[in-house]
Amino acid sequence: MTFFLFNLLNGLQLSMLIFLMAIGLTVIFGLMDILNLAHGAFYMAGAYFGYVVFQATGSFWIALAIAPLLPLVLGFLLQYFVLQPLIDRGRSAHLDMALLTFGLLFFTIGLIDLVFFETLGLTFMSIDKPAGLGSYVNIGTFYPSYRLFIIAVGLLVALIVWLLLERTVVGAVVRAGVDDREMVRAMGVNVYVVFASVFALGCGLAGLAGVIAGAELSINITMGVQILIPTLVVVVLGGLGSVKGCFFGSLIVGMTETLSQAYVPALALFATYLILAAMLVFRPQGFFGRTPKSV
Amino acid sequence: MENTDDDSWHPLVEGDESRHDPMDRAAARDQRRFLTIALIGLAVLIALPFVVGDYYVSLFSEILIFGILVSGVNLLLGYTGLVSLGHASFMGLGAYVTAIAASLLGYPVWLSMLASILISLLIAYGVGLLSVRTKGVQFLLITLAFGQMFHAIAEKTRFTGGDDGMTNIPRIDLGFIGLDADQDRVFYFFVLVCFVVAMLILRRVVESPFGRVLVGIRENEKRMLAMGYTTFPYKALAFGISGMLAGLAGSLWVQHGFFVNPHIMTWELSGEALLMVIIGGSQSFFGPVLGAAFYVLAKDLLSEITEAYLMFFGLIFVLVVAFFQGGLAGFASRFAERFLNRKSDGGEDKP
Repeated sequence: MTFFLFNLLNGLQLSMLIFLMAIGLTVIFGLMDILNLAHGAFYMAGAYFGYVVFQATGSFWIALAIAPLLPLVLGFLLQYFVLQPLIDRGRSAHLDMALLTFGLLFFTIGLIDLVFFETLGLTFMSIDKPAGLGSYVNIGTFYPSYRLFIIAVGLLVALIVWLLLERTVVGAVVRAGVDDREMVRAMGVNVYVVFASVFALGCGLAGLAGVIAGAELSINITMGVQILIPTLVVVVLGGLGSVKGCFFGSLIVGMTETLSQAYVPALALFATYLILAAMLVFRPQGFFGRTPKSV
Repeated sequence: MENTDDDSWHPLVEGDESRHDPMDRAAARDQRRFLTIALIGLAVLIALPFVVGDYYVSLFSEILIFGILVSGVNLLLGYTGLVSLGHASFMGLGAYVTAIAASLLGYPVWLSMLASILISLLIAYGVGLLSVRTKGVQFLLITLAFGQMFHAIAEKTRFTGGDDGMTNIPRIDLGFIGLDADQDRVFYFFVLVCFVVAMLILRRVVESPFGRVLVGIRENEKRMLAMGYTTFPYKALAFGISGMLAGLAGSLWVQHGFFVNPHIMTWELSGEALLMVIIGGSQSFFGPVLGAAFYVLAKDLLSEITEAYLMFFGLIFVLVVAFFQGGLAGFASRFAERFLNRKSDGGEDKP
């Protein structure tokens, strides 16, 4: 029983980390039709910049507060000055932007490799867990308190994003934008600023996930790709653009990965993909997605 | 997938009445251009091993192998408009089939290669049947998911050495014509023959009515549906053919390096194949091969300076997607056109 509880919490922890990534990806896709494959790069930017800030200040909390700002700003600049102008000049938001951001992911991995490994000689790094979250708590089983912290952050962000989308004017604009972009534009909203801000927030959350992961997992150049793939699976499972789907999708993927690892290791590597393949074959629009928009 | 007789009125398919229309002259010009490039290219590729050192011969074998892979990828990307992020897994499949048949089961290598080609065709066709129901981003993700699944299987399979893979895979036995493929120059020519055959088959495919339907799907799938085509089997078969070429490339790859491990099935390689296609030019028949050459040579050059070559490729990729959609091939043809037009006093048949 305690073994089960332990794995359940581990699954929840992974789910929340993936959720922090997936929420930005799915809202960006829903609003702008852009599949931002560079999301993994923003996650890495958060983790590496978090490491730098942590080295400079020695404080986990300062790193947590400052590091997500870098991906946030970069995300805004990317969307406002690069992606949107290209879309306006006739590039397909759908495929060209997926390819372009994919190239950007490769570029970031190479750049980080060049700076941190070749120049500074660093390979596997990590941020120290803050005082008070570095040990175990007894909840029937001894469980690392930092992982409980990850779960708490994930739930908190989910709540904030939900309140922001459902209870504020900005949220209403974004929801309207997901439903019908042209209409929002016609109503006099400066969609470009809304687009870039949402893009930036999504990237900021990816950066936040990066910093948090940097204290639990190791910071290395494969981390971006490693988290990107389950994130993409979540986004498809939940339905591209669906926030509710994103939350449940994260739970499904996080739990599947963790529980299959614990109970049926032979299946662990495919379980998630099996679910994804079945989903795409039988319900391509995802659990909560509507029928795909014509492209 | 030959077209039936009711296609003769079809505007996309060459019919008798279209013999004199400008489309046909363009096609003839395209054919002349294809032959010119193909013959010049072939001459260069044949002459090459006699002028460069051993190291570059091996590098060019690599280019031709990737050339087969990316030309297959381009049948989907450039001709049909489908972006697959799972083709490395078919390359890996071809590689593993050859390795298992030749090394573990002891079948002759040529038979193993045939098995690679057939099995990758069948499995890719099966995956195609499932995945071409989706398109765009969903298609990209489902191919990624299938690719990751095959990769996981390769990692988990004990008798193929799991994550370590297999070594000492034999090369094809060319003893019957008195040659030894273990020599890199001989093997290069064997790869070249495979490459030429693959390109001829691919050319036949894209020139056929089947290939025109694929282009029609890329341009406007709804119109194709409205004209009465069931586009679904066409796309699945295109996926199968493209997977088959990847399988052939894999089978040659494993002979080239004498070993295979699950690393060639990672999605990074699928991504790099996309890089090659886009950098080379997805709108042209030979563009992807040009991209493969650029990729392999530049990687070789850069890796002497830095391990972070991905940075440069990522950047080039971004620039090509953003600003030069024709890629290297588009660049070359624009250059050539300007040059030729100046020579013949202005372009007489500009579209």
